[in-house]
Amino acid sequence: MIRNKKSFDSKVTFKTNNVASRIFERQIRTPAPGTSVHCARRFYENLVPRFTIYDVECPDHSFFKFTDDGQYFVSFSKNRQDLIVYRPKWLSYSCNVEDCDDTHELPPQAKRFESFFTQLYVQSLASCNELICKDFFLYMESNQFGIFATSTAQIQDARAADGAILGVPSFEKITIHLLRLEDGVKLDEKVFHNDCVNFTHNMGAFLYDDLLAVVSLRYQTIHILQIRDSGNLVDVRAIGAYCREDDELFINSSSQLSGNRGDLVDNGINHDQPNSNNSFLSGIKQRLLSFLFREIWSEETDQTQRIQCLKKKFYFHFQDYVDLVILKVQFLDRHHLLIKFGSVDIGGSRNTDQLPAFFAVYNMETTEIVAFYLNAAEKLYLLFERFCDHFHATSISSMYMNFISSHSNNIHALEQLKCMKNKATSASQFVKKMLSSLPLNCQSMSPSPYFDQSLFRFDEKLISATDRPRQSTDHPIRPRIRQRRWSEQKVFTFPVPSFFSIGSLLHPAVFVPASVVDEYSLPEIIFCKYLL
Amino acid sequence: MGSLLGGLPSVDPHNFTQRHPSGHPVPCKPRLVTYRPTHNQTLPPPDQVITTEAKNILIRNFYQQAEEKSRPKRAATEQLIPEHGCKQVRASTSYSK
Repeated sequence: MIRNKKSFDSKVTFKTNNVASRIFERQIRTPAPGTSVHCARRFYENLVPRFTIYDVECPDHSFFKFTDDGQYFVSFSKNRQDLIVYRPKWLSYSCNVEDCDDTHELPPQAKRFESFFTQLYVQSLASCNELICKDFFLYMESNQFGIFATSTAQIQDARAADGAILGVPSFEKITIHLLRLEDGVKLDEKVFHNDCVNFTHNMGAFLYDDLLAVVSLRYQTIHILQIRDSGNLVDVRAIGAYCREDDELFINSSSQLSGNRGDLVDNGINHDQPNSNNSFLSGIKQRLLSFLFREIWSEETDQTQRIQCLKKKFYFHFQDYVDLVILKVQFLDRHHLLIKFGSVDIGGSRNTDQLPAFFAVYNMETTEIVAFYLNAAEKLYLLFERFCDHFHATSISSMYMNFISSHSNNIHALEQLKCMKNKATSASQFVKKMLSSLPLNCQSMSPSPYFDQSLFRFDEKLISATDRPRQSTDHPIRPRIRQRRWSEQKVFTFPVPSFFSIGSLLHPAVFVPASVVDEYSLPEIIFCKYLL
Repeated sequence: MGSLLGGLPSVDPHNFTQRHPSGHPVPCKPRLVTYRPTHNQTLPPPDQVITTEAKNILIRNFYQQAEEKSRPKRAATEQLIPEHGCKQVRASTSYSK
C-alpha cells in the first residue's frame, strides 16, 4: 500500500540535483538493484551544454554518423567514392576565473575542427563506376567492424532473368564491404550481381550480433551471412526459393530421378530455379501458403464449414498470396525473423500506410512460419505496444542499447503514445501507422542519454532519437529536464541553423550535434560547450 | 561485581534484573519458527532441470497466439470451464489506468 509516498521518499532517499552531492552520494550509497546504469545516466542532468560554437571550418565531406560506442565518426567524400573515418576527441578546457559564464571567451583552438576530430584514414571503397550508398552503415561493436555498401548505377532496361521478379529495378553490381574501423583495412566483401537491395536508412539489411540478413528484392531471397571474428563473411543460408541449406540439392536430385526435365545436362551446376520449370511453389512461399491453409483448416471443426472457409479465405485470395513479395526483414532473435510481405508496388511507394501488407514470423531453424498478421492486426499492435524493446533486437554485448527509451520501458513515452492513440480518428488507421515502422531499421535509434525520456523532455516532432531527416525550424529546440523538484528548471538550447536539411548527428555520450549538410553550402558543425 | 547494566538508575527497579549476573552474554534463542514439511508432495521430481527459456517473451507470445488460433473453436459453454490443471490463457489486454 502506497500511502504518503512523498514523505516516505524524502525521508529515505534524498535526491539532490547538485553534482557534487550526487558524487558523494554515489560514494556512500549503492543504487537500488538493477539501476546502476540509470543512476549513472542521471548525471547527464548536470552536464548540459551551455554554449555553441558556430561556423567551424571543416573539411568538405558528407558527415554521416557516429558509431554507437562513440569511437569513430564516419563520413564520405563528396564524390561518394571514399570513406573517411575520424576519431572524436574532446577539447578540454577549464576556466579558473570565478563566475565563469557564457561570455567568457574560449581559446582559439576551440574553433578548429581538428581539435575535436582526428582523421584516422581515407579508404577508397567504390571504384570508378560505383558509388557508396551514403545512407547505409552498420557497426559491429564487439569487433569494431563497419559494414558499408556500394553499388553501380541502376540499369534502365533490366531484362527479366530466371528467378527475378518484375517491377523491381536492377543494379549491375552491389557490394557489401566489411572493414575494420580501427585501421580501415578491408576484410571481406559480398557481391550481388544484377540485383536490388534497398540500402536507404539501413532498410535492406539487419545486423544482429554476428548475423547479417540482406534482402535481395529482385531475387526474393534473404541472405543470412555470418561475420566471423577473423573478418570473413560466411554464407549461412539463403531463404527464398529454398529454406534449408540442402534443399536445392534435394530438389535437383529428385527431379532428376523422376525425369521431369529431359534436357538435364549439368547435374547440380544448373542455374535454373525449379519454379521456372514445374508448377510447384517451393521455399518460403510454400511454407507461407501451407501455414495459411492449416490455420484456416483448424478454425472450424465441421467439414462443410471448413471447406467454405477455405474457399472464402484461402482459394479466393490464392493468387494474391502467391504474388506477395518479401519487402523487409529483421531479426527477432538468432532463429526468428520478422518478414514483411507486400506487393511489388509498395517497394517503391512512399505512402505505405494505405497498401495492405503482411507480417510473418519465421523460424529459420525449423523453417516454419510461426505467425502471420495483416498490417492492421490489433493483436500484433498490442504486442508491439507491450514489447517494443524486443523488436529492437540488440545483441547482448552492447549494453547501453538496452536503455533506449521506448513506450515499453518508459512511462512518459507510453503516455505520449496513449495521447496519440486517443487523438487518432480511426483505430485501424492508427494501428496501421504504428505497424508501418515494422520491421524496424537496424541501428536507427541513438543511444544518447539526452534522448532518454526519463531525464529530458522535448518535442518529438523537432528532434528525436530516430535517425531520420527532419524539417527545418527556426526556433531553437529546448529540451527540458524532467525532474521538477527545484523551482529553477534547467534547460539547454539546441540551436538549429536555418538551412537544416538532412539531420543532426549526435554523439552517443556527448552532445555534439553536427552538420546540417546542405549540398550547396559548406557543412557547418555546431559544438556545444559544457558548463557545470 | 554484578552485571554491567545492573545497578544503573532506571525507572523500574526490575529492569535489567534478568541479565546473567556474571555478565556472560546469553545465547539468543531462535525466535523464528522454522517450517518443516510433514509430507514430500512438494518435492521437485528427481530429474527436474531448471533452465532459462531460450525464447524471449515476444516470441513466446507469438507461439502462444499461434497455438490459440490452431485450437479448433469450441462451443461457448465449454470455453467457460477451465481445464483442470492448465492455466487459463489470458486474453490480450491493453493497459488500463
